[in-house]
Amino acid sequence: MTGLLLGWVMLIYLAVGLLYLAGGLWDSARLQRGAKWLFWSGLGLHTFALLARWWESYHIALGHTPVSGWSGTLTLIVHQAPLSNFYESLIFFAWAIPFIALVSFRRYLQGYLGTVVAILACVILAYASLGGVDSRIKPLMPALKSNWLLIHVVTCFLGYAAFTVGFGTALLYLKQSRRPTASLPPVSTLDHLIYQATIIGFLFLTLGILTGAVWAESAWGRYWSWDPKETWSLITWFVYATLLHARLVKGWQGRRIAWLAVLGFGAVLFTYFGVSFLLTGLHSYM
Amino acid sequence: MAKAKVQKTTPKVEPEDTAKSSRGDKTPRSPKEPKPGPRPPEPAPGLQAKSWVWGTLTSIRLTVFLLLILAALAVIGTVIPQDQPLGQYIRQYGEGLGMFLYRSGLTSMYYSPWFVGPIGLLALNISACLVHGLPRAIRRSFRRLTPEAAAALPERGHRYWAGGTDPHPVVAAALKEEWGRPHRETFQGQEIYFWEQGRFRPLGPYLVHLSLLLILAGGLIGKFWGVEGRLALVENEQADAFVLPSRTEQPLGFQVRLDKFQVDFYGQGAAPKEFRSDLTVFQTGKEPEQAVCRVNDPVTFGKYTLYQSSYGAQPTGPVVLQVKKGEHAQTVEVPMRKMVELPGGQVQVMAMQVQGDLEGFGPAVQLAYRSGPGHPQGVWVLKDHPEKTEKVGPYQISVVSLPFQWYSVFQVKHDPGVWWVYAGFILLLPGFYLAFFRVPQRWAVTLEPTPRGWKGRLLGASPRSRDLFLARQDRLLELLKKGTEQ
Repeated sequence: MTGLLLGWVMLIYLAVGLLYLAGGLWDSARLQRGAKWLFWSGLGLHTFALLARWWESYHIALGHTPVSGWSGTLTLIVHQAPLSNFYESLIFFAWAIPFIALVSFRRYLQGYLGTVVAILACVILAYASLGGVDSRIKPLMPALKSNWLLIHVVTCFLGYAAFTVGFGTALLYLKQSRRPTASLPPVSTLDHLIYQATIIGFLFLTLGILTGAVWAESAWGRYWSWDPKETWSLITWFVYATLLHARLVKGWQGRRIAWLAVLGFGAVLFTYFGVSFLLTGLHSYM
Repeated sequence: MAKAKVQKTTPKVEPEDTAKSSRGDKTPRSPKEPKPGPRPPEPAPGLQAKSWVWGTLTSIRLTVFLLLILAALAVIGTVIPQDQPLGQYIRQYGEGLGMFLYRSGLTSMYYSPWFVGPIGLLALNISACLVHGLPRAIRRSFRRLTPEAAAALPERGHRYWAGGTDPHPVVAAALKEEWGRPHRETFQGQEIYFWEQGRFRPLGPYLVHLSLLLILAGGLIGKFWGVEGRLALVENEQADAFVLPSRTEQPLGFQVRLDKFQVDFYGQGAAPKEFRSDLTVFQTGKEPEQAVCRVNDPVTFGKYTLYQSSYGAQPTGPVVLQVKKGEHAQTVEVPMRKMVELPGGQVQVMAMQVQGDLEGFGPAVQLAYRSGPGHPQGVWVLKDHPEKTEKVGPYQISVVSLPFQWYSVFQVKHDPGVWWVYAGFILLLPGFYLAFFRVPQRWAVTLEPTPRGWKGRLLGASPRSRDLFLARQDRLLELLKKGTEQ
């Protein structure tokens, strides 16, 4: 059922992208408002699909792990959050991108910027649904049975999503600084938006690394193991820390910052996909 | 009219707030020079010019450089497999390169000078910046907005009220809506309302960097004073020591016995659900204590914490198999890792390993067998599910007896650095909040009588957040319009 819902969400995001594009091309405030309204609706439906999968996952888990009392129930609900495999992480990632963009960019989310954000979310949903990713709900392995799962995955992916939004903005910045067009915000605004997305991403990535460390300490007895996923998250953190500091150095503002946001997004992609597919380690189940 | 005015009066950074703005939490800056530079002269008189070393250590350029170096080194560390034996590298990279990688420390990157060096330098860089800027940030944070300072803020707009109207209620109402509770004082013949927010913001970056130092310190403390090892226990075995990576024994300070180990599956052929070790701990002068150790659920006794890390089944005698060929059945004793010829001599088998519970199907033994020339093949023989076992050559094999004992392996650890690391984690939160979410801003409204009535001036500065500042400025000018002369 959630698969079908998510198919609709994907189409809605595609439509949102086209609406924003049309709104930008014809400079129509009405189209922009329509796009934003549709974006929120798509996000609402997406949220509903996430909750539905959570509900389903919880009820399957009840079948093999009977619980008693409200604390047992609550624990099982938290453990069964739909964030425990690659497919579920993609679905949440695709949710977090419009969420971060709508909440943090607000009125700046217009025209091409809106198109980029909506299309990025749409592509990720398309990959999750059509890319041959295993979408079955599987019982939790012992290592994932922890209250930290929910908070760790949520913070990490909110961070990834903010960086993705920052990446889209950086692309527009690079375009705008080469050949300025009136249908894009001025570079100073884009620069500010890159910075804002980076701050949000950096905050959540840091929280993701911290919660991961606390979890690792209780699961494996080691808060840091230099596992490839950990190391790559640290590499990502270094790159964005560089970005935040480089803004304060003469000669680094402007295009270099945008390139750092692109580089950082490369590190995010590798942390998420590259490590899982190319390197093995403690996170290999993701 | 307000609109045009607003556009012109963007919040320019004025001298006092320049220091406060300190976009570079690290870069020292002269208050007259709003652009950050790597090594500007120290403004305070009486202080000597800082040396080149100090200038470099406190520079943000060094930070950027080190961060990029560290990122690159960490990438190399994930591309080259880490902490493998030398032979592995020689196989993978050839004699010359493999040897070079191993000798140079690049195969143990995160503990080698390649990585520890830049980390150390970064720690030095952070410390230098803390020493350099923290005292000033503290002083600035505790300097309240005074009427004098408020009156010196740059003007953002003004309003006139006619003689008959008293502007005080209008102003008070407007400010109450925007600011909550402003201060009000009389200063140099004018009424001044003033309000500030985000005064402690300059401390944010320093808290963040202080917490990073705490985390690094925690890592070092763990490295030097932490102990980590493994403890393997067979069911009903009792131990008072565990094994360090150097293969020496380390006393636990208590006795621990594995009463029982269990592995649960989500059904037959499904994934594991839980690994669980039931322990009894004997501490001198205390009652024996029961404890359950699971994955994600470690137990702590005395100094040490035990983490469920691995498990297995250990054979306690030879496996006895029933070998059936047609109607003819015979029992055969198969010791571990010894080749045994099955009756008829056509097939040789060897018991490779025993599993206490193979994917929920119960105990099982893995046999390697060879019939004729060619590579040996493997087969699992399930004790409780003979029907699931494939035929071995012409033979149908089942288990008569499969004696084994469960064992459980624990990671044993004592790390006094963890609390430093966690303290760093906790301190990061207010640091991030102050650094990223507090908007330092100072505002004032002055009211002074003029021959024709009253003149009100809106003053304010916010060095960091232009958008929020302008929005608030618009709102305030709008609110102050009430009862004014057009």
